Amino acid sequence: MNRLKPLNRKAHQIEAAPNEEAVEKVVAMTAAVAGCSTTFDPGWELDPFLGVAGLCQPMEADLYGCSDPCWWPAQVPDTLHNYPDWNTGKDDAARDWNTLQSVFPK
Amino acid sequence: MKIKTTAAALAASFGVALFGALPATALAAKDYLVTAARPNLVFVMDAKERKVVKTHTIPNTSMGNSPITLVHSRDGKTAYVIHNRWETVSGIDLDSGKEVFRAELSGGDIRGKSPFPMDLSPDGKELAVYVNPTQLLPGEYKVLDPYIAIYRTDAGTDAEPARKLKVPRRVSTLAWSAKGDTLYAFSWDMLKLDPQTGAVKGKHPWRSWKNGEQGEPDTLAIWPQWEQTNVFATPYYVAYANKPEGDPSALRAGIWTLDLEKDTVHFKEFENAGVVLFSSVVNPVRRDETYTVYTQLTKVNTKTGRMDRVDLDHTYYNVNVSSDGKELYIGGTQGDIAVYDSATLKRIGNIRTPGGGDQVLTSLRIFQR
Repeated sequence: MNRLKPLNRKAHQIEAAPNEEAVEKVVAMTAAVAGCSTTFDPGWELDPFLGVAGLCQPMEADLYGCSDPCWWPAQVPDTLHNYPDWNTGKDDAARDWNTLQSVFPK
Repeated sequence: MKIKTTAAALAASFGVALFGALPATALAAKDYLVTAARPNLVFVMDAKERKVVKTHTIPNTSMGNSPITLVHSRDGKTAYVIHNRWETVSGIDLDSGKEVFRAELSGGDIRGKSPFPMDLSPDGKELAVYVNPTQLLPGEYKVLDPYIAIYRTDAGTDAEPARKLKVPRRVSTLAWSAKGDTLYAFSWDMLKLDPQTGAVKGKHPWRSWKNGEQGEPDTLAIWPQWEQTNVFATPYYVAYANKPEGDPSALRAGIWTLDLEKDTVHFKEFENAGVVLFSSVVNPVRRDETYTVYTQLTKVNTKTGRMDRVDLDHTYYNVNVSSDGKELYIGGTQGDIAVYDSATLKRIGNIRTPGGGDQVLTSLRIFQR
């Protein structure tokens, strides 16, 4: 934890919690495994072993696996909540990737 | 004619004739795969024929997101699938395509989403769905406690939970024991719940796993693939604090299994971590063999730790096995299911999804008829 610096209120609450029970009361996420999480998993830039050999091949194989469950909402538009029609009608990512558009915060 | 008539009657009694794609003389049970694909498809494949035999559409759903967890009844009659941006569960009759069950997880100012965990009781009468509810208040979102909704599968298309069970956060898998007396919830630990009350009867440790110098294991388990063995299997990574920094053996990969009949756990580390591993399945015939996929297909003997591996043509998320243990079906991500020989790990076939839609994160299930 020495190398991690809290950046928001919830993170400060976690750092200041006196024990583990108190940490669990700081509700930061509704699901750690999926759904607009604040995970720091690498995945689009680096694989979990800090290389690139473990990245998805090709990236289109994993594109909707990242957008549809809101896995990496910073890298890929989140179709679960914020951009529900980003890939509507474009059901084959390998075929349709060049028709996908950029998104911008509303 | 007499032989044909008898065959047809027998086939009908087993339900096989309803698929229509089967010859009247095909009395031996065949393997069928069932899965989903974007935007709203559920389809059934004859595994050995490499052919899609039924394509159904999920009604009234979002078209800009993908169906996720799919659970089928043991008789192969009905498939239950989470869809509509995780806010609806539908049961689709696999013969007729009719929606025979529907449960809305959201309503009023509550937005309920099920992030993958769902399972059917062994008798097919109850469906357990993990739900994360959020109250949409005018000025903020209020995160509510998660729960497991237990539905009766005969509740129709306006289903309400028969009961709700209190459950910890971070559940990624629900798995009913073979006897139906325990509902496993894979959270911080693998919890053993009373499916009637939700009471925690016990657990198999993950976060609390103490094993020498190892740290807390890490895993991702959102693909149910244990229907033929009643053995839940998932890969895991674990770090060792007693290894020097930079030592490749400081991070190891293994396979963790839970026998849903005997409530016994087995784990085997088989390599230094260096390859991404997603879902795993146990061979129903050679039960020491597990197969794991991602961008590679990996076969691991969970007794000896011996491993074989081949590169795949693209990344896949899920894998299942034929009932005779000879073929592997590898799906998820894109619009095809690859078929591999389980002994040689050679590619022997391919099945395309109807319309070419990506399967994304759905489940790939197998049943016999």
